[in-house]
Amino acid sequence: MITLLGIYRPRDTPLHNSSAAFKMALLLVTSIAAILTNDPVSAVGIAAACLLLLASTTPPARATFRGMAGIAIIAAATSGYQMWQGEYFRAIDTSADIIAIAALALAVTSSTPMEEVLDLVSTLARPLRRVLPPETIGLMFSMMLRAIPEAAQILNEARTAARARGLERSPRAILIPSATRTVGFAINMGQALHARGIADEAAPRAL
Amino acid sequence: MIEFKAAVVTAPDSGVPILDATTLTLSEERISVIGANGSGKSTLARLINGLVLPVSGSVEVEGLDTMRDGAKVRQKVGYLFTDPSAQLIMPTAIEDVTLSLRRTIRNRDERTAAALRALTDIGLGQKADVSVNALSGGQRQLLAIAGLLAVAPSIIVADEPTTLLDLRWRAHVGALLRSLPVQLIEVTHDLDSAARAERTIVIDRGAVVFDGDPAEAVHMYRDLMYGRASQGVDE
Repeated sequence: MITLLGIYRPRDTPLHNSSAAFKMALLLVTSIAAILTNDPVSAVGIAAACLLLLASTTPPARATFRGMAGIAIIAAATSGYQMWQGEYFRAIDTSADIIAIAALALAVTSSTPMEEVLDLVSTLARPLRRVLPPETIGLMFSMMLRAIPEAAQILNEARTAARARGLERSPRAILIPSATRTVGFAINMGQALHARGIADEAAPRAL
Repeated sequence: MIEFKAAVVTAPDSGVPILDATTLTLSEERISVIGANGSGKSTLARLINGLVLPVSGSVEVEGLDTMRDGAKVRQKVGYLFTDPSAQLIMPTAIEDVTLSLRRTIRNRDERTAAALRALTDIGLGQKADVSVNALSGGQRQLLAIAGLLAVAPSIIVADEPTTLLDLRWRAHVGALLRSLPVQLIEVTHDLDSAARAERTIVIDRGAVVFDGDPAEAVHMYRDLMYGRASQGVDE
């Protein structure tokens, strides 16, 4: 899923030409509709529509297939348990809902530049401007997304280092270096933001 | 022109001196700073951008005090870190450069066009829509440089910009930095690169111990370090 954070590609498709606000609203409404619909036929229909929407954005094939394969495994595991319980219709409904929401989320991600998301988050955060400048909240959102793959990489490296020392069964040998390096990355990123002057614009006015 | 006026830096909590009172006027186009790990050379570099502020004395960049006019100083001084990963914030190359331009170009289409130009100029035009996680270390450093150049700084402070790169990228990034039409202050362990500057500053234990001709500076620094190594490295 980590590779999916950079799947936006500029294209000329209906979803690419829609505003970020519309796409977020579409995602929200569709997710609620999918969850509230308990009819497996309707759920499969919604999932099919979402998959078609995803395909219409022509995202990078390999990253999308890998991401959706991961989602399909989660959906299969969830519905497998329900099938084992004898709830066949519910199993179909649940897995279709998971696939529908994930596919639509991917369609939004692959058709929306982060800058538009940043603008949208900043706009939505305007009511909080007395607490934090909207630009800061938008920036925090972008940084959070950026930090996910880095944190995952740090965890992987810590796991490899622990294995090299014969400590693969020790959670402490993995978690402590991961935590300290993640904090280090966050500090470095903060300094870099400051150095680029981006933090100056987003800084609270009181400072 | 960068002026250090008896600038002193101490550790925030302990008050331990990191950089002794330093007075320098930096007007040359190419300046290198060398010194051992922990000698204070990065602190000196960070003072120029206002990332670190002096506890006494001052640092002025083109007449602007880094303490009073930090934001304006950072518009003039681009800072390049050793590890570009921390410097890149947005998911794709073009979006990251665009982020640098948000405060200067309000129109989104113009901003994107300017970002693409900056990427093309540096040789990353084909990678504009590629995830920053999919770029090599050298390409990430190029992207970080593109992000700096997009806002047209007059000074670039590069803190060991090639340390994490392989030989090919080290040569490419080094040559690129030296070719830029800006004042370049390069902190480096690469003595060949340091020797190509017009002026070299040697920092040792928080003090400037040599300031002048690069070849002499490198010679002096080698003697200092090899002499210390022969006495053992435990300090």
